[in-house]
Amino acid sequence: MTDLTLEELAGAIRQRKISVVEATEDCLAGIRRLDGRLRTFITPDPEGALRKARELDTEAVAGRWRGPLHGVPLGFKDLCHLAGLPTSCGTRTKEYFATPHDCTAASRLVAAGAVTLGKLNMTELAMGPFGDNAHHGHVQNPWRDGHIAGGSSSGSGAAVAAGLVMGALGSDTGGSIRLPAACCGVVGLKPTYGRVSRAGVMPLSWSNDHIGPLARTVRDAAIMLQIIAGSDPHDATSSHRAVPDYLAGIEARIAGLRVAVPENFFFEGVDPVVASSVRDAARTLAGLGARVEVMQLPDPQTMNDVCNVISRCEGAAVHARLYRERPDEIQPVVRARLALGFHISAHDYLQALRLRAKLTREFVRDVFAKADVLAAPVFPEPAPALSHAIEGLPEELARRQGRFSRLTRPFNGLGLPALAVPCGFSAAGLPLAFQIVGRPFDEATVMRVGRAYEEAAGWYRRRPSSSV
Amino acid sequence: MSESPTQHVDLANLTAAIERAAVDLTLAEEPSRFIAALEEAAGEREGQR
Repeated sequence: MTDLTLEELAGAIRQRKISVVEATEDCLAGIRRLDGRLRTFITPDPEGALRKARELDTEAVAGRWRGPLHGVPLGFKDLCHLAGLPTSCGTRTKEYFATPHDCTAASRLVAAGAVTLGKLNMTELAMGPFGDNAHHGHVQNPWRDGHIAGGSSSGSGAAVAAGLVMGALGSDTGGSIRLPAACCGVVGLKPTYGRVSRAGVMPLSWSNDHIGPLARTVRDAAIMLQIIAGSDPHDATSSHRAVPDYLAGIEARIAGLRVAVPENFFFEGVDPVVASSVRDAARTLAGLGARVEVMQLPDPQTMNDVCNVISRCEGAAVHARLYRERPDEIQPVVRARLALGFHISAHDYLQALRLRAKLTREFVRDVFAKADVLAAPVFPEPAPALSHAIEGLPEELARRQGRFSRLTRPFNGLGLPALAVPCGFSAAGLPLAFQIVGRPFDEATVMRVGRAYEEAAGWYRRRPSSSV
Repeated sequence: MSESPTQHVDLANLTAAIERAAVDLTLAEEPSRFIAALEEAAGEREGQR
């Protein structure tokens, strides 16, 4: 089972080649064997998972199928509220986040037949791109011990890469789905703002938060998105726009599609191995018939500044009580980042929100008149050593975090769909990746390009040494 | 809620950048136009198909 994709496992269960209990036990055995070291889970739920697996097997025997994920074991970032399991949000407080409604995205996956293996590790309060967590253990990169898994959805990225779960949910406020996906050599999709409900998920910055899947392949991510996308009465920002059939055109040729590679910002200060891997990926897309051109983009740094102001203000508002009443429970760097939000004026916050609207309108108009998608680096360097990433004073560390997420954050502000796809390995064996960014609500084209690339390049067939 | 000197500089740079960029905002600009920008762009695209 370990080499199967989510889609293949769902098919094998449907054909009764493998039972749900067997699939679940396989994942649980992997968790027992590897997770003492990888630290991908905060709350595994083996009893609950096996109970659900037996129930689903009984239904399968009777010919009753809940949906496309019947029996597929998944994990959820520990900021998704699910009744019966605690939601720490990576803090020291076991049940930090409570809400009357279960996480809509997770609930939809469960309703489609998924088995919940448990809640996955993350950076404290989702604040930080390295995946370190002093309370629950630093998540290790399955490709190389001692290196970061990326964050903040660190457990989601590493658990998918190691084969401990067949897919996972993550959240992305400044890159927190795409960075762990890139660091761990898996696929991660930040959908368009409003495409997936955020109800039942701990907010960090409600203007910039996005929920999305992490999976081994683009097709697997498409299957998960199909289930979680769509409007939700519990999230007023969710779009009422109809959800297309994401698998319908995903294998279509990409000949003639216009792919823009940014000329400015995205390659500045980037490790040469990352830069060349992204340019190689663009050449692969050209070889598939895409029209690849270099493009000057509206300066993404302005949007980064806008996002930083908005995220800091909203994060401080959301977590003010924890910050004021129990500051000693928060890791110093998270506390330092939260602190800034209390010092930004309402004037600057509102100007940032107004600027965001203007910048988004201009970016979409100027860029997508000439291109169908963008192809750009996700991170400035392959997953650094944990010891190096998290050393130093909180202020230094906060700056380092900002640099690591500077290539992903603009697309949170812009709200555009962005897909991280593996595109090779460094000499040290660490995954490389690029992001494909599309028009608002055009996840279908973004995934079509990603799928064409992954099949041509074949990186998704490699597995890390630390895997099931 | 105290700031370190480094944080103070970072914060000043950040808000100065916002002030500079906000200079040419029109009176009509408001936060909700962000959602409108996404929905309108997707709608225009669908109309072209």
